[in-house]
Amino acid sequence: MVHNFKSMQSVPTAKDFIDIVLSKTQRGTPTVVHNGWAIQRIRQFYMRKVKFTQQNWHDKLTQILDDFPKVDDVHPFYADLMNVLYDKDHYKLALGQLNMCRNLIDRICQDYVRLLKYGDSLYRCKQLKRAALGRMCTLMKRQGPSLAYLEQVRQHMSRLPSIDPNTRTLLVCGYPNVGKSSFMNKVTRADVEVQPYAFTTKSLYVGHTDYKYLRWQVIDTPGILDRPLEERNTIEMQSITALAHLRAAVLYVIDISEQCGFTIKQQATLFHSIKPLFANKPVLIVANKTDVVQLEQLPAEDRALVDEMAAEARKISSGGALLGPNDAETTLVTMSTLTEDGISHVKQVACDRLLSSRVEVKLKGKRVSDVVNRIHVAQPKARDGVSRPPVIPPGVAAARARREAGDKRKTEKELQEEQGGAGVYNSDVRKLYDLKDPAWRYDIMPEIMNGKNILDFVDPDIDARLEALEREEEAAAAAHADAIGDGMDEDELGPEERATLQQIREKKKKIVAEHRRKKAAGNNAAPLPRAVDAERSRTKERMTRELGALGLDASAAAERAARSQSRRGRSLVRKRGRSEAADADMAAEEQPKKRVHSSKSRSMSRGRALSMAAPEQSKGLKDAVQRNKAIKMADKAQWKLGRAAKKGEADRHIPDLKPKHLFSGKRPRGTTDRR
Amino acid sequence: MPQGEHIELHRKRYGRQLDHEERTRKKEARSVKKRAAMAQRALGIKGKMFAKERAKEKATMKKTIAMHEERDKKHKADDGQQGSAVPAYLLEREQVERAKVLSNTIKQKRKEKAGKWEVPLPKVRPVAEDEMFKVLRTGKRKKKEWKRMVTKVTFVPPGFTRKPPKYERFIRPTGLRMNKAHVTHPELKATFQLEIIGVKKNPNGQAYTGLGVVTKGTIIEVNVSELGLVTPGGKVVWGKYAQVTNNPENDGCINAVLLV
Repeated sequence: MVHNFKSMQSVPTAKDFIDIVLSKTQRGTPTVVHNGWAIQRIRQFYMRKVKFTQQNWHDKLTQILDDFPKVDDVHPFYADLMNVLYDKDHYKLALGQLNMCRNLIDRICQDYVRLLKYGDSLYRCKQLKRAALGRMCTLMKRQGPSLAYLEQVRQHMSRLPSIDPNTRTLLVCGYPNVGKSSFMNKVTRADVEVQPYAFTTKSLYVGHTDYKYLRWQVIDTPGILDRPLEERNTIEMQSITALAHLRAAVLYVIDISEQCGFTIKQQATLFHSIKPLFANKPVLIVANKTDVVQLEQLPAEDRALVDEMAAEARKISSGGALLGPNDAETTLVTMSTLTEDGISHVKQVACDRLLSSRVEVKLKGKRVSDVVNRIHVAQPKARDGVSRPPVIPPGVAAARARREAGDKRKTEKELQEEQGGAGVYNSDVRKLYDLKDPAWRYDIMPEIMNGKNILDFVDPDIDARLEALEREEEAAAAAHADAIGDGMDEDELGPEERATLQQIREKKKKIVAEHRRKKAAGNNAAPLPRAVDAERSRTKERMTRELGALGLDASAAAERAARSQSRRGRSLVRKRGRSEAADADMAAEEQPKKRVHSSKSRSMSRGRALSMAAPEQSKGLKDAVQRNKAIKMADKAQWKLGRAAKKGEADRHIPDLKPKHLFSGKRPRGTTDRR
Repeated sequence: MPQGEHIELHRKRYGRQLDHEERTRKKEARSVKKRAAMAQRALGIKGKMFAKERAKEKATMKKTIAMHEERDKKHKADDGQQGSAVPAYLLEREQVERAKVLSNTIKQKRKEKAGKWEVPLPKVRPVAEDEMFKVLRTGKRKKKEWKRMVTKVTFVPPGFTRKPPKYERFIRPTGLRMNKAHVTHPELKATFQLEIIGVKKNPNGQAYTGLGVVTKGTIIEVNVSELGLVTPGGKVVWGKYAQVTNNPENDGCINAVLLV
């Protein structure tokens, strides 16, 4: 499990930490308190602040403590690496201090909340809260150095390479400047710095490479000098840690040209001194810089040293059991990172040896049985002598033979690329036409001949098809005619009959239109029912005629009648009526002043469809007095509901259930008991 | 995946932005104006905190400038102590010191007899009874009011058993009991947390002394065995008086000054 070192949150300095928490308290709790409040309320106000601050401290410290990995809980490789880099004791102490601080802050909060319960004045509670917060912050101020240290550790940790200790790994080690980082750069995509001075690589670097469809980790280490373990510095100790804890194939790189500044003898001595770290790991001696000096060109004693190293490597590495007759090749390999000669061979050998050693370990382990069983291929036992080979269809066999012979079929895509690319080439579909004679494939076919469409004659049984179609059409037409017609065919009518039919249709339309018009008129004026006036003999003309015969002027009445039938609404009637009344009645007698509707009343502006409509002027009321009274009564009925802005008598909607002016605000003494 | 010193490596390989120096220079030059704008426009608590920091900075800056200017100032040379008839090298020191010790012991003995002590806080604000006690109503109908609860910090000796609740008149709540004090040694200027042995005298009255109420100005006796003091006679001093210098009920702790 690789602990995610990159997702740790940054640790603030002591001063910033205090500022953050205190400003959080200031923003997160109410800030207003008055002297006149009930003491319980004041206490609660200050207790809340103390508890809130404690909670924040606790949360932030917990988050820091959880973010940092526990040295005892991570993989021993990381534990050791952290010890080398950050000093385990110091690290643990710093985290322990923060933990202690967290507990102390909790205790402070408890103590002061207990004291706040006895606070009997605002001043006392405020001082207690001030003391509590002050103590918590003083605690954290003293943790300044720990916090600074932890922030540095976090920054460094986030840049550590994410090495998976359990996967396939190649570890590259050796003296400084032998070519480890160059090898790393060539084999993986890691861009490690390569410089002529020693200790260019100051920490571990990881790169990834692929081999046999598997991902391999390659770890570049800083160079190691030949010193006793106690004298090693931090940089070398990182190499030693990697060698000690990672189960990887070790590539011990030696520089046979001695350009690194160290002789082969020194390199051999180092190898022998760190031999114990190579136990149970496949070891490879890699001779680098062969572009300068070839392995064969080495003097005898150097060559002997190298061979001795190779022999040792063979002895101690775990892949020894699987080494075949060419074992010399698998322990000592040459390469040159400058000319890239032999690098892939080195990688191959190393990976093969590591793979075989890992498989060997897995086979010896407990969990091998489930894997091995999964890939079991059952072979049925032969029950008789009949041979039953697998059946391969002849087409497939022929295709295989062709492929073996190297006859590659040209694909459409290749053709396309040849002929000019995707937009230029139109693939030839005609070659796939399946015709009786393949030679007809590229024939040009005309479309029109002798003024006739060739496609019409293409089908051999086209006549039969046409007949069938025509019959279908006739049947459909007959069915349609049956559906609408009532047995009578219009064609049978004579001309007079046709004219009558036309007249009837027109009349029908007229009646329908009249009916529709009447309906849409929206006229609630009760027309005279049929029982009274069936023939509709009471017309306006008749009334004018008969009243004129009597000697009365009925023009006003006639106009009113006409208007009441119209759709233009009552306002016009009203106006006309008012002026008419004024003119007509003024002459006759002193009429009571025409009562004008109050502007607030809406009943008159509404349409006549509503039941609350006041009676029409000419209907039912005998004189102006009565009319005025009617208007007054209508107004009165409307006034209350109108004030309450109700849509009707059944409207019980309350727009504002809790109006602010009733539920808030101070009142003179003794009156705010109830709301 | 960036590993190791990737930022520095990138800078080494590709260098910085072409206008990097100019940008940094201009940014620094602008930062002065930005700071001034913030100082003028910041509101509320942020503004106050910023103003406080800035005032501190300005004060230290002024001091540094003054220190630098000291170099150019002229000082009068100091000739030694003035005003004594006998020059300093003629005074007999031992005598003086011994005399000091003797008279100190005599003075202390006299004071003990008189009952007067020289204390750091000779006068304190008197605490009224209604401030010290809170009236508690007892009985089923809460009509009796003879019980009192102490609202200040008290010290209760260990092994103390209270009177039966029905008869106890003064209630000293556990929440307000303290047995440790932060005692400062006036000469060493160091503060220690020492246990209280008892309350010697409360300036507000003997009743309070008897109850063990600790307010500002109270003389308490503390266990100083931690300090390792020894009498001239060779005996180990383990209890000394100290005077309380704060209001413990407001601060939640007892701060005292050792009476030496």
